[in-house]
Amino acid sequence: MREHSVLIVDDEPIVRESIRDWLTEAGYQVTTAETGEEALELVSARDFSVLVVDLRLPGSTGIAVLEAVKAERPWIRTIVITAYPSAETAQEAKRLGAVDYLLKPFAPDDLERLINNTLASIPPEATVIGKAEAPVAVAAPAEAIEVKETFVVDREGLRRLFDGLASSMETIGAVERQGRFVFDRVKQFDDLRLDHDVTVQSPTRYLFPARETMLTMELGATPKTTPTIEATPQVLFGVHPYDLHAIELLDEVFMTKHADPNYISRRQNTVLVGLDCLKPAPKAFAPSMGTDRSDTGFDLLLTDLGGRFMVRVGSQRGADLLAQHTTTTAPTDQDIAMQHSLLDEARAAYGVSLQAPRERLPKLLDDHYDDEYWEERSETCLSCGSCIMVCPTCFCFDVVDEVALDLKTGERIRKWDGCMLTDFAVVAGGENFRHDKASRFRHRIFRKGKYVLERYGMVGCVGCGRCATACLPDIASPAEAFNAIAEKAKIETARRLIGVAAPEQDLYTPKPAQLLRVEELAANEKVFEFAFEDGSTLGHGPGQFVEVSIPGIGEAPISISSSPTRGDTFQLAVRNVGNVTRAMHNLEAGAVVGIRGPFGNGFPIDELEWKDLVLVGGGIGLFPLRSLIQYVLDRRDRFGEVTILCGSRSPADRMFEAELAEWSKLDGIQFLETVDRGDESWNGHVGVITTLIPGLELSPAKTTSVVVGPPIMYRFVIGELKKKGLADEQIVLSLERRMKCGVGKCGHCQINGVYVCQEGPVFTLAELRNLREAV
Amino acid sequence: MKPKVAFFDFTCCEGCQLDTLNIEGQDLVDLVSAIDIVEFREVHTGKADHYDIAFVEGSITRESGIERVKDIRARSDMLIALGACAHIGGINCLKNHLEMDEALEIVYGEDAKYYDTIPARPVSAVVPVDFAVPGCPINTAELLRVVKDILLGKTPSLPNYPVCVECKMAGNVCVFERGGTCLGPVIRGGCNAVCVTAGRHCWGCRGLVDDPNLDSQKDVLKEYGLTVDQVVEKFKIYNTYSEVAQ
Repeated sequence: MREHSVLIVDDEPIVRESIRDWLTEAGYQVTTAETGEEALELVSARDFSVLVVDLRLPGSTGIAVLEAVKAERPWIRTIVITAYPSAETAQEAKRLGAVDYLLKPFAPDDLERLINNTLASIPPEATVIGKAEAPVAVAAPAEAIEVKETFVVDREGLRRLFDGLASSMETIGAVERQGRFVFDRVKQFDDLRLDHDVTVQSPTRYLFPARETMLTMELGATPKTTPTIEATPQVLFGVHPYDLHAIELLDEVFMTKHADPNYISRRQNTVLVGLDCLKPAPKAFAPSMGTDRSDTGFDLLLTDLGGRFMVRVGSQRGADLLAQHTTTTAPTDQDIAMQHSLLDEARAAYGVSLQAPRERLPKLLDDHYDDEYWEERSETCLSCGSCIMVCPTCFCFDVVDEVALDLKTGERIRKWDGCMLTDFAVVAGGENFRHDKASRFRHRIFRKGKYVLERYGMVGCVGCGRCATACLPDIASPAEAFNAIAEKAKIETARRLIGVAAPEQDLYTPKPAQLLRVEELAANEKVFEFAFEDGSTLGHGPGQFVEVSIPGIGEAPISISSSPTRGDTFQLAVRNVGNVTRAMHNLEAGAVVGIRGPFGNGFPIDELEWKDLVLVGGGIGLFPLRSLIQYVLDRRDRFGEVTILCGSRSPADRMFEAELAEWSKLDGIQFLETVDRGDESWNGHVGVITTLIPGLELSPAKTTSVVVGPPIMYRFVIGELKKKGLADEQIVLSLERRMKCGVGKCGHCQINGVYVCQEGPVFTLAELRNLREAV
Repeated sequence: MKPKVAFFDFTCCEGCQLDTLNIEGQDLVDLVSAIDIVEFREVHTGKADHYDIAFVEGSITRESGIERVKDIRARSDMLIALGACAHIGGINCLKNHLEMDEALEIVYGEDAKYYDTIPARPVSAVVPVDFAVPGCPINTAELLRVVKDILLGKTPSLPNYPVCVECKMAGNVCVFERGGTCLGPVIRGGCNAVCVTAGRHCWGCRGLVDDPNLDSQKDVLKEYGLTVDQVVEKFKIYNTYSEVAQ
C-alpha cells in the first residue's frame, strides 16, 4: 500500500536501521537507501508515501533528492532530518516541499507520530487537486495541450464549451437579478453574464454550502452515525480572480491538515472556469490585496477581448475539456497586447485601495489591538452578520442535530456561522467570550488582515468589496479599517519623527550598582551580591536577567540568582567564561558595575502557583533556578508538592553547598541530588540527573516542571518527564541565547520570529515546538 | 408516556393553530403518535385537568383573559407562547396607541357599552412563559423542532441572529439595495427570510433579537429616506408592546 511505504535515506547505518526497525514494528513498509543516488534510483523506479531524508549524504545531497522528488513525484511527503540545522537549509527544504524538519538525534516515536500525522493529512484519493480525476468521463484529447498555454476562442466556440460542459454537469454562473448579479444555475449560455462586476454572494457557496448534512444518525440505545457526502459534478463558469484566490484559501483550510471529506468531494467534482474582471465593483480593492489576477487555481481562465475570449489553461483537466468541447486558435500578438491593455485598464479602474502595503497589515493591526477605533467604528454595527455571510473567505460554521419526529433518525447539519454574530463564542452556561460589538468587529478585521495570513499563508481578504456593499451602516469594508489603522500608524510615526514621543533615556545607560560581597562557588564560579547606589531595588521576578556592564570591557547578560523575596540586594552567580565574566571575577567588594534590566519574561509564577512543582537544575542551570527555588520556599503555602532535583558533574563542581544542605533538610520538600561521577568524598547518588526522575511519584495532572540546564540535558530530562505523563504545556525551560541589547532590537537572540530577551528566556515546551530553531 | 398537550387561543386570528393543523403527511402522523392532544378547540371537544405542554395563541386583551390564562398556567407544566400575538403582543397592540374607550367606540360603535377591553399584551406580561414559537404565522418546522427538543429532553432555543443571516444564505439581493426598507437587521431569524425571499421585506413579526442595535437601524432606515415617524410606524406593526416602540 502506497499509504504505508516509507523510504529512509541516511548514510549512518545506526540511524537508518533503528528507524527502519521502529517503523517496521509500527506497521510501515520500509525501504532504506544509503546515498542520494540510491534514493533517486528507488524514487524513479517506484512510489512511496513518505520520504525521510538526511541532508548530508555522500554524493548527491538531501536537497538534490528533494528536488528530484518534487519534480518527479510531488505527492510524496518528505521529512528532512539533520544534525546540522540552519535557517537556510530549513528554508530550502520547506521550499522544496518538505513537510517537516527534524533535528538529530530524535526519538523514533516522534518520527512515527510525524509520519502518522503527515499521512492523516493526505486526502485518500489525491494530494493535488489538478491530479484529481475529472468527475465525468472525459474523452482523451485529440492532441495534448500543454498546461498553461493560451488560446483564443470566439463566442460561438465558448458556447460550444459551455454546452459541452452543461451536457454532463451542473453549470453555475453569474446572472442578473433585481439589478445585481448573483451566481445561480444557468441552463442557457445566453443567460450567462460575462460582464458582471461582482455577485451578491460568493461562488464559494457551491463548494461550502450554507447548509449541508455531514452525518445521518440513528438514535437510541445503540446509536449509529454514517458520514454523508453529497457532490454533483459542476462547473463554476465565470469566476473572477479574487474569488479564485478565495477558493485557494478554502483549499488550504479544508484540504490540508484534517482534510475535510465534504469539501474535498465537492472540490474534486468542480471545474473552475475563471474570468478576468474588467469592470471592477465600486467598493472592490482586489489589486491592493494582490487578487485581481490569477496564475493558479483555475482549470481555464477567460479574458473577454470583446466577443472573442482569451483562454488560459490552468490544469490538465482544463486542457482536456477545452480540447474535447471546442476549437481554439493561437492568440495573435494583437490579442496578447489587447489582453494586457484591458487588464491594465481594469486594474486602474478600481476606486478603493489600501494606503499601506498588505504585507504590513499584520504588524499594523497588532500594534493597534487596543486602539479606540474598534469601539468607535463598531458603534453602529447591527450584528446582522451580512458581512460574513457574503464573504468568500469566511468559512466558519455551526453544527446542529436535527431529528425526525419519530425520534429514531436524524442528521447532523453544518451551517454557516461567524464571528460577527452575537452568540458565536458563547459556551454552555452563558459566558460569551466575545461579548461586545467592538471585540467581534476587531476579530473579523484581524482575521482578514492578520490571523488567516499567519495561519494559512494566504490573504484573508480578497478585496471583492461584497461586505462593504452588504453592510447597511457601511462599516464592514476591511479596506476602510486597514486604511484607518494605517493612517493612525502614519500619524504615530510622524509624531515619533518630530520627537514628541519620549525616548527611554536610559535604555542603553547602565545604572551604577555596588558590589557588596563575593563568594567563591567552585573553581570557575562565583556569586556576586549587588545593591544599586541610588538605593533603588532591581524589581525583578525569578528567571529574569540583567545586562552587566564593565566599561571598556563590555556588557553581558547574566541571569539573576536570588529571589526578589530576599531583600533589596540581588545576586548574580557567574561562571568565568568570557571577557565580561572574567572582569567580574576580578572584582572585589566595593567595586561598581553598571546594570541594565531586569529583562525577559521570567518564570511564569502565576501559572506555577497552586501546582506541584518539579524543579530540575543541572550544572549552572541552578543559577537562574535558584531565584525560583528561593521564591517558592519563601511563599511555600502558595505551591503544592515541591521536588527539587540538582545535578553536578562531580562533587567538586557542586555549588551553593550550604544552601543545598539546607534544602535537603526542609520538611515538605523533596530534595534529590546527584553527581555524574562520584569520588571518595561523595556518598550520595551517582548518575546523570535523568536517573532521578523515574523514581519520582508525581500527580501528572497538577504538576509543572521547570528545567534549567545545558541543552544536552534538556532532551533527556524532557523525555523522562513525558514518560511521567507531563504534557508539553507542563514543561517549562529557560533558554540561553546571545542577548546583546536586552531590549528586542539587536537581533542576536532571535529564534525564528521570537526575541528571547522579550518573549523569553522562559518558554514552555509547547511554545518551543513552534520554534524550529529552539532546541 | 406521551406528553399531554393542549392548544388555547386568546385574541388572535387562530392562524397559528390553523397552520399547526396544516402540518401534512408523515409529519402529522408522527406528531399525533408522539404527543397526546388532550384539548384543542379547533379539533375536538376534549378537556383535561392537567397539561404537560400548553400552547397559547393570541394576546391578552380583556380582564377575563387574564384569569383564564392564569388558570391554564396553573394547570400546565410548560406553557409555550404560539405566534406573534402571544409572543410579543403582535398587531393587537396597535390599539394601545388609543384610549381604550376610543378603541371600543371605533370597533363597536353604539354597542361599545357591552364590551370591555384593556391594553393588549403578550402572554408573558401576565404569566411566566417557558418558551415561544414566534412568527405571524408560526413557522411549523420551528414548532416541530420545539416539540422534538422537548421530547428529547433538550432545551429548545431560538436563533439569536437577525433575519439578514438566513436572507444572505438564501442568496437574496438586499431589500435596501432594491430601494425598499426592511426590519431584518434587528428582527430574530429562524424564518429563512421567507418574506424577503418572496419579494417583500421583513415586517418584524418574530420580535427583536436579544441585543438589537436599534439606534443604528433607525439611522439606516433614515438614510434610506424614512422619517423618524415612519421608522417608528414600521416597528409598531408587530412590536408596539416592546420598549422600542414605546
